[in-house]
Amino acid sequence: MSAGAGKLARVSRRDFLKVGVAGSTSLLIGFYWGDQSQARASADAAKGFAPNAYIEIHPNGEIRLIAARSEMGQGVRTSMTMILAEELDADWSKIKVEQAVATSELKYGDMTTGGSESVRSSWDPLRKAGATARDMLITAAAQTWGVPASECSAIGGSVIEHKKSSRRIEYGALVGKAAALPVPKDVTLKDAKDYRIIGTAKPRVDGRPIVIGEAHYGIDTKVPGMLYAVVARPPVFGGRVKKFDAEKAQAVPGVKKVIEVQAVEMPPLFGEERPANSGHQHYLWGGVAVVADSTWQAIAGRKALSIDWDPGAGAEESSEKQRAACAEMVKGSGKELRKIGDPAKAFDGAAKKIEAEYELPFVAHTTMEPPNCTAYVHDGKCEVWAPTQNSGGMATALASALGIPASAITIHITLLGGGFGRRLNIDYGVEAALISKAAGAPVKVIWTREDDVRHDFYRPMSHHRLRAGVDAQNQVTAWMHHIAAPTTDGVYVGGDVPDTGGTELAGTGLPSGTVPNYLLEASFLHTAVPRGYWRGVDTTWNQFAVQSFIDEVAASMGKDPLELRRELIAAKTKPEAGGGDQPPVDVARLRHVLDLAAEKSGWGTPLPKGRGRGIAGIAGWGTYLMYVAEVTVANDGGVKVDRVVCAIDCGQVINPDMVKAQVEGGLVFGLTAALFDEITIAGGQTQQSNFNNYPMMRINDMPRVEVHIVPSHESPGGCGEPPVPSIAPAVANAIFAATGKRLRRLPFQTQELAKA
Amino acid sequence: MDAISITVNGKAQSVEVTPDTPLLWVLRDTLGLTGTKFGCGMALCGACTVHVDGEATRSCTTRISAVAGRNITTIEGLSADGRHPVQAAWLDQQVAQCGYCQVGMIMTTAALLAKNPKPSDADIDDALGGHICRCGTYQRIRAAVHEAATKHTAQLTGAGETR
Repeated sequence: MSAGAGKLARVSRRDFLKVGVAGSTSLLIGFYWGDQSQARASADAAKGFAPNAYIEIHPNGEIRLIAARSEMGQGVRTSMTMILAEELDADWSKIKVEQAVATSELKYGDMTTGGSESVRSSWDPLRKAGATARDMLITAAAQTWGVPASECSAIGGSVIEHKKSSRRIEYGALVGKAAALPVPKDVTLKDAKDYRIIGTAKPRVDGRPIVIGEAHYGIDTKVPGMLYAVVARPPVFGGRVKKFDAEKAQAVPGVKKVIEVQAVEMPPLFGEERPANSGHQHYLWGGVAVVADSTWQAIAGRKALSIDWDPGAGAEESSEKQRAACAEMVKGSGKELRKIGDPAKAFDGAAKKIEAEYELPFVAHTTMEPPNCTAYVHDGKCEVWAPTQNSGGMATALASALGIPASAITIHITLLGGGFGRRLNIDYGVEAALISKAAGAPVKVIWTREDDVRHDFYRPMSHHRLRAGVDAQNQVTAWMHHIAAPTTDGVYVGGDVPDTGGTELAGTGLPSGTVPNYLLEASFLHTAVPRGYWRGVDTTWNQFAVQSFIDEVAASMGKDPLELRRELIAAKTKPEAGGGDQPPVDVARLRHVLDLAAEKSGWGTPLPKGRGRGIAGIAGWGTYLMYVAEVTVANDGGVKVDRVVCAIDCGQVINPDMVKAQVEGGLVFGLTAALFDEITIAGGQTQQSNFNNYPMMRINDMPRVEVHIVPSHESPGGCGEPPVPSIAPAVANAIFAATGKRLRRLPFQTQELAKA
Repeated sequence: MDAISITVNGKAQSVEVTPDTPLLWVLRDTLGLTGTKFGCGMALCGACTVHVDGEATRSCTTRISAVAGRNITTIEGLSADGRHPVQAAWLDQQVAQCGYCQVGMIMTTAALLAKNPKPSDADIDDALGGHICRCGTYQRIRAAVHEAATKHTAQLTGAGETR
């Protein structure tokens, strides 16, 4: 995801590490958690060094890693600990990870957690910080014994050994001396063959509290004097409270206050500068909050409210109109985003022309922990307890909404009961703070599931027109892709269409650069329906269209879909991963996962009638992933995904078990949307409300998943998002293989597969 | 508001709430037992599952008045030491990702195994089909249920719900 590419300030390399003394005698190492040359926040440049992570090594041997990234199930606390422990040769059992508290002084710099970035961006800094601390401890040990440092070595378990004299000493005994030493200019990182921790399946460091019910999520926050609130929000996007009657609500036992929440225009999510008239904006729509002694009383109070809404500009919107508008737009030409050769000419002159259109709906995040936030605004200060992926954006928005300086804001980041991009938005934090301020007390605002489904920032709907031309030699010579969709971030409020900045394009990459004549163009739908980042973001819509169409083209050419992919992903080609911050594609690695998935799945071996295999994959976030899905289609059209084989090359693996978990989970996330999920709009409102009409995959829907990880010492790639986008087209392709019918709309309209 | 008596994790409690208050919010807001989670409020996701007299029950749609005088077990009381066979299997299989739904999964599994120590895959689908895990940990959940049923059989049989 390209989110978070805000304002960048250069920080020179010498500023990367800083050593100090914590307390009286502990060794403290501060460093940048993230690309050290690109620490965000202009404040950093002004103030000089402002590390966003710390390691503390204490005299009792305890090691604390204070980490800025949020834990939302991806296991970031564990993978970080593993990287650090490896280079530090630390005693695994004595490392504790703590969540950094966000203050708007930006003490910890960029704390955004998204874009499958946490491991990628901390791989180098964590290793260097660990190796630096190890070097300093070795020097301290050598000085203690009066021997050359070159004769001493860290042997693991937080112990340094002088082999010649058979002496050993623990880190804890050395921290005072080490803290007084100069920071070594260069440190040598371990060779991958010497890894003891990296690459092993260490269990999660924070697994036990989860199974005993002691893991603390945002919704579990309790602070002294806290009240509970729920909010009635405008049912129509862009609507406002006209007037309301609180009398009956006030009469509900336990209800303390009924408060109108004003609509607030909010700053951009990631501190990015938007061009004037950029056409999209973030709003808190406002509403009416019921504040009570308990959650249930607040919910009962809300039911008793009588509110007259001004429906607002979005009231005329519907899914039918939106779909029709997008279908119309792709007929013409759009904004040209990428062009190679002369695609129109090549297409016109093609011996064979193939054309298809694909559609995807708005979809919701539905994190299992619904949005919630506890806030206490008092005496010109604001303290917030929030499950957030974006504390930096929340701090900025809080300061703006409350009219207080950034220095007066503290954000305690709790565990996140799922993130998936929903918690990059900061609406629920601002709302809670406004309610606390009006209530004059700490308030926990809880969203019911209905609130969540109806007031999400949805993955945009989209419509795709694809055209391919095949020449007389049966080669693909032209490829044209026109996307019609709303932009990803915010809502349209008039003005020019925003610069796409690449955030609509990733995942269109595979044929681009592999076909001599290529065109990607986009048209934009203006809508008041809020959109946001949804795990996998733009790849999730583009991959469905592109990877399905590759199979359609293959069928038309009389080629096996695997064979056509082999031709396209040839050494001479230069596929693009897409826009934004996607790293360049290594064709050999992409080709290898293609071949590995084919081999492990038994591609080409016969399957019983009614069953089929489909292949699809992606290069993105520095990772290469290919799926082969096997499906059974029943006579009534019911689709069961039986088995999915995944080949993944994500570079150096920190923890293979967590890579597998991310593949299993990302696959379920993508497959749930492919099979079931669609947010529809009528009268400017979301029609779905809870898991009865917005269903989720359940245990009986789960396919058998096999994950094959390519051994590699390349830089680590991201693993959170790559598993999401390719499962839908892999299954669509498998359905085609099983039935000869092509489903071009998500969620799959399986009734079209039913046999008469 | 009348006082309603319930027994939670072996301890007698008297709570003053309206009779229509769901057990979930009594546990979370009144008694401070936040291990039981809110997910949907409509018995659609299973995150709020507790045991009422040993039966896996959705606390979000169970009125407090309906469980007056009953024995309620939450995750905090599933085992004295937090090492119930199901909890042990969940850790062995590294099931949890975000972990939010897992408490409900564990409570349902514990109730299932108490009645059916050797569940088939179909039994597991039946018991856990009412639960949702958005992180998609289903493959590991199934493995953990089987592990709890085999590896930890000795602890399961007779142990029931230790407190």
